[in-house]
Amino acid sequence: MSTDTDTTVIARTVVRVVVPVILLTAVALLLQGHNLPGGGFIAGVLTVTAFALVYIVFGREFLQRELLHVDDDGFLGGSIGEYGRTFTFGLALAASSGLAAIVVGELFAGGRYEFITQGVWFVYHVPVYHEIEIPTALFFDLGVYFVVVGALLTILAVVGRE
Amino acid sequence: MQPEPAVLLAVLALPFVGAAVTPLVYRVLGERTAYFAAAVATACLALVLSQHGTHGTVSVEWIPQLGVNLVLYLDGLAFLVALLASGVGILVFTYSGGYMHGEPGQAKYYTTLLVFMGAMLGVALAADLVALFVFWELTSVSSFVLIGHYQRETSSLYASRKSMLITVSGGLFMLVGFLVLASASTDALGTSTFALFGYGDVPGLVENADAVRSTLTEQGLLLPVVALVGLGAATKSAQVPFHIWLPNAMEAPTPVSAFLHSATMVKAGVYLVGRFRPLFVPGGEDVYFAEAWLPVFVVLGLLTMTVAAMLAVSATDIKELLAYSTASHLGLIVAGFGFAVSYGGEAGAFHILNHASFKAALFLVAGIVAHEAGTRNIAELSGLRDDLPITTIIATVACLSMAGIPPFNGFFSKELLFEAAWETGAHFGGLWFLVPAIAVFGSIFTFLYSIRFLSLFYGDRPEGLGEVHSPPLAMLAPAAVLGLAVVAISLRPNLAIELVAGDAYAAVAPGEAHSFTVPWPIPLEPSPYALMSLATILFGAAAYPFYDRLHGAIARARTVPYTSPNAYYDGGLAALERTSALVPGYVQTRMFRTYAASTMLAVCALALGGYLVAGVTVPVPEGLSSLTVLGLVGGVPLAVVLLVALFGAAAVGIADSHVAGVLTLSILGFMVAIFYVLASAPDLALTQLVIETLVLLIFLLVLDKLPAWYGSLDVREAVPDAVVAGVVGVTVTLTVLVTTSAQPSQNIASFFVERAPVPEEHGPVLVDSGGGGNIVNVILVDFRAFDTLGEITVVAMAALAVLTLVGMRNRGEDV
Repeated sequence: MSTDTDTTVIARTVVRVVVPVILLTAVALLLQGHNLPGGGFIAGVLTVTAFALVYIVFGREFLQRELLHVDDDGFLGGSIGEYGRTFTFGLALAASSGLAAIVVGELFAGGRYEFITQGVWFVYHVPVYHEIEIPTALFFDLGVYFVVVGALLTILAVVGRE
Repeated sequence: MQPEPAVLLAVLALPFVGAAVTPLVYRVLGERTAYFAAAVATACLALVLSQHGTHGTVSVEWIPQLGVNLVLYLDGLAFLVALLASGVGILVFTYSGGYMHGEPGQAKYYTTLLVFMGAMLGVALAADLVALFVFWELTSVSSFVLIGHYQRETSSLYASRKSMLITVSGGLFMLVGFLVLASASTDALGTSTFALFGYGDVPGLVENADAVRSTLTEQGLLLPVVALVGLGAATKSAQVPFHIWLPNAMEAPTPVSAFLHSATMVKAGVYLVGRFRPLFVPGGEDVYFAEAWLPVFVVLGLLTMTVAAMLAVSATDIKELLAYSTASHLGLIVAGFGFAVSYGGEAGAFHILNHASFKAALFLVAGIVAHEAGTRNIAELSGLRDDLPITTIIATVACLSMAGIPPFNGFFSKELLFEAAWETGAHFGGLWFLVPAIAVFGSIFTFLYSIRFLSLFYGDRPEGLGEVHSPPLAMLAPAAVLGLAVVAISLRPNLAIELVAGDAYAAVAPGEAHSFTVPWPIPLEPSPYALMSLATILFGAAAYPFYDRLHGAIARARTVPYTSPNAYYDGGLAALERTSALVPGYVQTRMFRTYAASTMLAVCALALGGYLVAGVTVPVPEGLSSLTVLGLVGGVPLAVVLLVALFGAAAVGIADSHVAGVLTLSILGFMVAIFYVLASAPDLALTQLVIETLVLLIFLLVLDKLPAWYGSLDVREAVPDAVVAGVVGVTVTLTVLVTTSAQPSQNIASFFVERAPVPEEHGPVLVDSGGGGNIVNVILVDFRAFDTLGEITVVAMAALAVLTLVGMRNRGEDV
């Protein structure tokens, strides 16, 4: 297993530069997913890739201590527990966004719940972007994102411990 | 008068609701949960009693969209069984309050007992064969749990498994019988139905008995159906040779024996016979024979009545004696229902009531004796009358009733059976006279063991018997109530018939039935059946001095090898266990390659088999033309990408180390991603790229743990692997060809295209479209969001599986 010592300076430097870029790209993909290529799943996998890079190059200790601020190295109390809560939250978010659409549709739209996107808000006159579109489906996509991040990181962490 | 739907539904629901809250109630009430359960049973009894005299089907809408209804039926027989289930239930729950004092697992005990009571009420009230079957098996399952109440005892486990195997497998035969019946109903009634009693537009089987019977006879299915239903009844009601589970079932706590294994559950079998009687016995005045029905059930019943009574004489344990005696009396009821003459139905219906009263009383007495004297061995018990005076009175009444001595109630139903046996024998003559002869022969043994049981309370008190306490009121009162019931029915048998048993008879009789009366206190006119009763008592009294010799002789006869069904049961089970032990050697090799190969081959076989059955023709790409199309679309870049991918795939095959294998495999993956880019699918390409990167990273992570080199190749392993790989490859290729050749309807695509994007003119909030420029994403999170939800659930499940299987594998009980 990789530890703090057996990686090269090149690898560490590259990762240090690349990881923020990857994360930023992931967030961008998540937010623009509704109109341009992207979406929760891709963003999630990309985020996990960033974590995996840190994990391999800097080691598990570093990841837990410096990025997640978890001191406890216990099984469920540590990072794995954190990941577990992440995908649980994601699943709950995705499911409740669907439920909310049904409830809202039933209450205000007279049973028209064909679309999870019950509403799309357009915010105009935003600096740089000019116009931002916030669909309610974003909540569902966020759920997908958290599930993918949590689940893949759980698998990575559990397999990595072995 | 029609029964009230809400009341019947409440009768059925109450015990299950009670069972659901019992664990909570137990936390509050502790051992007094017994009285909570008794209260539930009391409520059920009150509801059942309120429906006395009603008759008919009630249908409660369940899932109206699918036409699924819960149909309940109440008539005299259902009323009788429901009365026993709830009435004896009250007494047994109360008795348990004393008997189970300090015993383990009481929350489980009361929960299961309540579930059982609900299931039994369900059996009684079900109007349709499927519901009947479900409740039927539920009684078997709850009986299994209750017999195995003392989970640490080997004998309990043996007994519960035995009862489960025998009664549940019998139930499955019964189910086959039901299916045959339902398929025959298509020809008889024009529509396939499981309904015994009609409701709405659905015709009932029993109401169209003649049509159903003649169809079955035409198709040669009459005997199979009777035999299959008979197997279900015989296993449940412990008829020879399936009686062997009942004596073992006495491992259960005594209240359970009194409730399930004498008064109610074993009555489910005879209830079934009674239910089907009007279907198979032709109606009319001068009917003496019912094709298939009479031979099967009269032989089964009389055989059981006699054999089980003889076995009871050989018993050494009081509960064993009562168990065999129960089987014997159930045989009497089955034989009664088997006769086509009306006396038979009368005997069966009346004996259900009588047997429940005296046998439940005797079981409770046996529980008191075992609890207070500390032994159940017949040889060690005697002269208990001074220690247990009230118990002695109850036992005396119940034993005399069981022996069939007038004017106790057991006498009247047995007299009716003799009447049926004699009428049938006299009508056909010849060998048929064996029928009444066997009935008398079996009854003599019944007389013998009844008196033997009674003798426990009289005679001299043996030296070895320690101090005998008097039983607590909670145990004595239920037994006394049942004893009083025996006395009451004995004093006014015709009132009991008028109130309960007559209606039950009407339910088992074909066509319009009349009620009946019995001569009280004793038949005064000389008749063949009165003589039969007299002969039984005289022969019994004459043989009683030789009881010990009979006991020894039968016990010796039982030791002859291969005469006992137990030997076949144990032998069969041992053979099954040996066979099962062999299976893991082939199926569970604990090697991943075996599992992977069998899973993949199974999937391929299913897929290919599916194509074969569906008659799918494989569309062959038209020569090079499709490649030309690809070339036109993608041009040179596409050709290069595909070529590189092919090289990558070939390189995987010849790679000699894991690192080389993984890297060459990812060449393939990245080429596929580029292919997506060329084919204008940016979302797919992005996903493929990211996944490919992540998989590569994870592979690098685990590569540390694997041997660096593949090692030399063994041909014996390589060839089967190659075959598996080849089969999988062919299946996947075929699947791709088949699925891509099918042209999806254009409508759905145009629907997506129309509804997904932001309309030309829109306000600040959109509600009637996807509102996104990326159709792929709108499909994923909106049109097909439910699919996506399923997929992310699978991802989460996979993570959970890894977490528990890999991460916690050493956290079992043994750590």
